[in-house]
Amino acid sequence: MAHAADSSPVLRQAARPQSSAPKEPRVGFEGRMMTPGLILLAALSIVPFLALIAMSFSRVLLLGGVRLEVIGITNWVRFFTDADMWMSWLRTIIYFVLTVGLEMALGVGIALCLYRVLRGRNILLSLLLLPMFAAPVIVGLLGRYLTDSTFGLYAWVLRSLGYTGDILGSPVSAFAAVVLMDVWEWTPLIALITLAGLSSVPQSVREAAAVDGAPAWMTLRYIIFPAIANVLLVALLIRSMDAIRYFDIIWVTTNGGPADATKIVPIRLYETAFRFFDLGYAAAIGLAMLAFSIFIARTFVRLLDTRGLTR
Amino acid sequence: MSDHPSQPSRRDVLRGALATGASLTLAGSLSSCGSRDDVARVAGGDQWRQFKGATLNFISENTAPTAAIAANLRPFTDLTGINVNIVTLELTALVQRVALDLASGRAQYQVVYADPYQVLAPYQRGLVDLRSLQADPNLPDLPLGLTDFIPTQLDAAGKFVEPAPVYALPYDAPTMIWQYRRDLFDKYRDRMTNDLGFDPRPSGDRTWEEYFRIAQWFNKNAKSDVAYGTGHQGRQHDSLMNDFSNVLWSYGGDYFDNGKEVGRMGSRSPGPCRIDSAAAITGAEFYNRLLGIADPASKTWDWDGLGAAFRAGRLAMCPNWHEYAASNEEVLPGKVDYSPLPKGPGGTANMYGGTGVAISGNTMPNERGAAWLFIVWATSPQTQLANLKSKAGGGTPTRTSVYELPEVRAAEKRPSSMPNMLTAAAVRQAWQPDKIGLRPKIPMWNECNTAIFTQLSRMLTGSVPPEEAMRSIKERVDQIVERGWVA
Repeated sequence: MAHAADSSPVLRQAARPQSSAPKEPRVGFEGRMMTPGLILLAALSIVPFLALIAMSFSRVLLLGGVRLEVIGITNWVRFFTDADMWMSWLRTIIYFVLTVGLEMALGVGIALCLYRVLRGRNILLSLLLLPMFAAPVIVGLLGRYLTDSTFGLYAWVLRSLGYTGDILGSPVSAFAAVVLMDVWEWTPLIALITLAGLSSVPQSVREAAAVDGAPAWMTLRYIIFPAIANVLLVALLIRSMDAIRYFDIIWVTTNGGPADATKIVPIRLYETAFRFFDLGYAAAIGLAMLAFSIFIARTFVRLLDTRGLTR
Repeated sequence: MSDHPSQPSRRDVLRGALATGASLTLAGSLSSCGSRDDVARVAGGDQWRQFKGATLNFISENTAPTAAIAANLRPFTDLTGINVNIVTLELTALVQRVALDLASGRAQYQVVYADPYQVLAPYQRGLVDLRSLQADPNLPDLPLGLTDFIPTQLDAAGKFVEPAPVYALPYDAPTMIWQYRRDLFDKYRDRMTNDLGFDPRPSGDRTWEEYFRIAQWFNKNAKSDVAYGTGHQGRQHDSLMNDFSNVLWSYGGDYFDNGKEVGRMGSRSPGPCRIDSAAAITGAEFYNRLLGIADPASKTWDWDGLGAAFRAGRLAMCPNWHEYAASNEEVLPGKVDYSPLPKGPGGTANMYGGTGVAISGNTMPNERGAAWLFIVWATSPQTQLANLKSKAGGGTPTRTSVYELPEVRAAEKRPSSMPNMLTAAAVRQAWQPDKIGLRPKIPMWNECNTAIFTQLSRMLTGSVPPEEAMRSIKERVDQIVERGWVA
């Protein structure tokens, strides 16, 4: 049944657009103000993006000036049939899940511990944040140095504990090492964000839970986590975007080895573009990476959207 | 007609922004590619000073010879009035910069460190044929001519496919040789001879099997002196291909048919890969076995890591580039000696890693002349001798005349003021045409090399057996070669 107001002829008449009324400009003052930004965006992003699409359907010739030789979908066929590339994607996903998962678990754990510390919290927090301020390439060099079997401290400690292998010399330990280096560097960021979230949980609610005799795990499960869930989601989004692009530490420590165990997609992309100069195929890989990043970002943004955090 | 001025639609604004962005990008590109002036030339007078005031950029790998050149540029500037800026980079970064510079159509780097496999073969069309400059009566001649360069090195580092054109002058000559702790071999020589049944003293007459047994002996009997008998550069890196290739060739295997020629002169289409031959598989099996008793950290070392471990006293011996001799002598004075690598059923092979200096084809005429003066000076006998004496680094000469100089001859024995010359006897043998190890000089080598060392790394970590690794390399290399190379 139609609503009374909707069916009123008077209202219907008022709602109908008047042909003589001034037409609203489709792009008004705001649009004109945005134009310089859009021009800059076009120069920096849209044109290179279109060039990248063109490159992915071409063979890129370098000598005598860059030229494109159209070869149709050859690069894309190669991309979808390249077994080594699929292995790299699999490694990327495993790496992504491990680093982001560990960082979230450890970061939240550390933040919860730190939140309970009353004296010296600032000093502890400063120490905790230190790894985050090192450039990833420095973290890689440091990791390589510490795991070097000739003079590395970690290698020496592990040797004295009876480990005879070489950390970066076997596929599993090398993969674990680069994952841990990233976790070491970025767990503090999660801890920091979580700590900020914890500060916003009302003290009265926690006190009420304590008065009611709620055990610690129930307080966590029903009060703390629901309160900081949105903050954690933002932290997850930030780290996920970074983890997809992970490059520096692996490049410096293992170069993708041993046995390709640490060759994730960004390493393969770099290798294809700047070692083999197969820029057409590299463009195809780059676009696939972009699509994957957008997919991950959209998933998180949609989650945030359902919680009303994107408005 | 509307009373109001027509307003652009959202689509119009976006379209306009895109067009303006494209224009800006294009304008930026064009302005950066704008014309620039050639350096001035003073006609007549001293040939060496005709480009006085010019500035050259030399891009080089961060090698010992370039360190010596950089520390000793003053004589060149005094001689010519030309300033030289030297940019030193790790090889991979250098190859990127050179490729992009050649693609730009300009010569930001007029003088290029032209690795034969990563620069010369893929980008030979972007380099100047130096014969045109050698023939120019207005430019100084190459002292003692091209024939003074060691012939295998001139072909390997300076030419590509055609025998006549010369694209680079041999500039450095690192070659893999057997480096060993002489003090330990002296100490244990009798015991080792008794236990092993042969004289263990390293020489080109030793076999790889004997090398294996010597390493194993050190592992068991000399733990107080060294942790392991041998170490290798088995990181998933160019170094692994180098280390393995010595064994591959010694066992009679090769990457392609007519491998010596493909290595020395190069080829644009080398044909099917032959690394799945029985000899190659036998070589791979031996290499896998050898790395099994080597220092486990070998799988993480490139040449630098191996050199550091050897100098740290972890290893009794290793195959490594001969230019580490100066560093060895500094840390372990009098304790290290050198020999050609062991032989196998197919003879011996000592991987050559030398490089030439070339001139970018994008240079302008006078700039090209100035660059010629620099490469003539940098590869001249006097400069090579100065490099040998340099405290800042210095490689080994690429000219036969330098090796004949009495002071250089004298430096082949201790005490030596030119410690790299302690390797002279070993490398002199290693550079003979039948003993030099030359990897395939093909334009698509970079990608083939990656396929090779990746599969070798899988073999060393036990992921695949040697036979499967060799078949896997063949399959990948054939695909890469079939795709061809267009620069």
